[in-house]
Amino acid sequence: MNAGFLPMPARIVAIEPLDRDHRLFSLRPAQPFDLRPGQFVEITIPGVGAFPVSACAPVAAGLLTSCIRRAGRVTEALFQLESGALLGVRGPFGNGFPVETFYGSDPLLIAGGLGIAPLRALLHALLAIPERVGRITLLYGTREPGALLFREELAGLAATGRIDLRLSVDFAEELSLEEWGVACEVGLVNDLLRAVTFDPARTVAALCGPPGLYRCLIEELARAGIPPQRIFATLERRMRCGIGECCHCVTGGVFLCREGPVFSLDRLRSMEGAI
Amino acid sequence: MPWPAFPSIALQPDEVGRLFSALASGRLMFGPRPGSDGSCRLQPLPEIPAHPGAAQPFLSLKKFLVPDGDPLWAWTSERYAGPPPPPRLTVVDLPLCDLQALAWLDLVFAEDPPYRARREALLVVGAPCQPAADCFCDPAGLLPGGDLFRAGTRWWALSPVGEALLVRAAGPGNLAGEPLPGPEPGGAVPTVDPARFAGSAGDPLWDEAAARCLACGACSAVCPTCMCYEVVDDPRLDGTVTRRRVWDNCFFPEHARVAGGHDFRPGRGRRLRFRFEHKYLGFGPWRGLSSCVGCGRCRRACPVGISLEEVAGRLARGAGP
Repeated sequence: MNAGFLPMPARIVAIEPLDRDHRLFSLRPAQPFDLRPGQFVEITIPGVGAFPVSACAPVAAGLLTSCIRRAGRVTEALFQLESGALLGVRGPFGNGFPVETFYGSDPLLIAGGLGIAPLRALLHALLAIPERVGRITLLYGTREPGALLFREELAGLAATGRIDLRLSVDFAEELSLEEWGVACEVGLVNDLLRAVTFDPARTVAALCGPPGLYRCLIEELARAGIPPQRIFATLERRMRCGIGECCHCVTGGVFLCREGPVFSLDRLRSMEGAI
Repeated sequence: MPWPAFPSIALQPDEVGRLFSALASGRLMFGPRPGSDGSCRLQPLPEIPAHPGAAQPFLSLKKFLVPDGDPLWAWTSERYAGPPPPPRLTVVDLPLCDLQALAWLDLVFAEDPPYRARREALLVVGAPCQPAADCFCDPAGLLPGGDLFRAGTRWWALSPVGEALLVRAAGPGNLAGEPLPGPEPGGAVPTVDPARFAGSAGDPLWDEAAARCLACGACSAVCPTCMCYEVVDDPRLDGTVTRRRVWDNCFFPEHARVAGGHDFRPGRGRRLRFRFEHKYLGFGPWRGLSSCVGCGRCRRACPVGISLEEVAGRLARGAGP
């Protein structure tokens, strides 16, 4: 997209609220660019700062679409902006998910919380090549029913049989999820994993979620028989440069921003502090 | 072990005069000079000193090449613009440890446009120094960076730019390989066994070494090869914004904290281990390359007397003090 530190001007063209703390931002950068699922960009609000974020959909019609949580100083400022505001974008950075590794497989996507965002980009990339992939399963857990993102879209994909969708929430005061036509368990994503059947030899798994999700789940996938080089996770860390300089994201001696943020389990096992 | 050899030549006084003119022409000159407070710093020089005499400045060349607060871009009238061209500088009389540190910065910032611009506008001349009691030189360490080196009437070309300057001053064809006249090696950069380091995550030595650490970050600030940075925006009332990179520090508690508050490197023991890993084992493409140059600045700056070398010794000996 561009070299060095100079951002490319990018205008907000749409903002769609998802819930109180999550909005879908569509940006139109001044020049065409591409972003693979799992890669990330740095979004700048001039005068406020910048933050790294992945896209939640493949780039289409020159639009970068990200699901952003109000989580810190810069995203708080972003939530005060309206359509038409001019921002800056640097990137793309990182490796992204190896989509070709999913060819001929049954993809198993596991998301916790906002981890659904980059996995949704991967999901859409896989849905675009139905002749190349088998049955897609998505396990998605959040804290409470109201925090389930993209639920109408996901429920629609499940209703038409394009994905096998399993939802879970940690807590639920009201269990009104049936109205979307999708069953939702109260419990952890791990419970969902135990409830689905998959052929480990045909499965390629991708995970995204908070650190706890990786600690509980990733080795469980390996124990279920999925080869560790076919289990992928994308890691979140503090990032300031995207080019392997500023040192914040270094984990196990590796610049996650350059070599990652997506790693296979066999690599993660050799990276101290990664999971 | 001798210092590495570089193309060298003894210059006649008129040739030195031509070389000095080339080094000074259109450039600000700096060199290490003691200030009134007794600290040696890189200070402006009216001219290049006739006789070489290197001394270790309090801060190394990173003060010029990755200055704290360096502008990355400016935002004016809805446009992003790169930083202004950097000043053309000549820095003379740097000790070999700082030339080795320069080689490291050249490596890790090889693709960094602001660094490249500053580096290309900089000429660096080294000279032998008198090592202090609390530093050591390791000729087996990084190959010294910079452009020229001088001792007595003899000059060495450390880079193609330096060689071109010598050839312009003295004519072609007279340069011959000659080891740098560095000080006697005073020690060696500790060699850290990666396997032993990898197995040491649960070793109490890190927390013990960090028990008296104040997390002040002085060690990283004065280290000539510590280079991690934060970026901050500097908005002005006229609507312009300058994004700057400022020196960061892996001892600071925010260094590995993400939005939402999760800290991926909690505790001083882990942060000390992180700095140790960066210094002796290297990160990413530079894994296996130590960036310690033995300058001793970190030990001198530490208010509580922590020495990474002692930590390295303890790690090598195994558990226990």
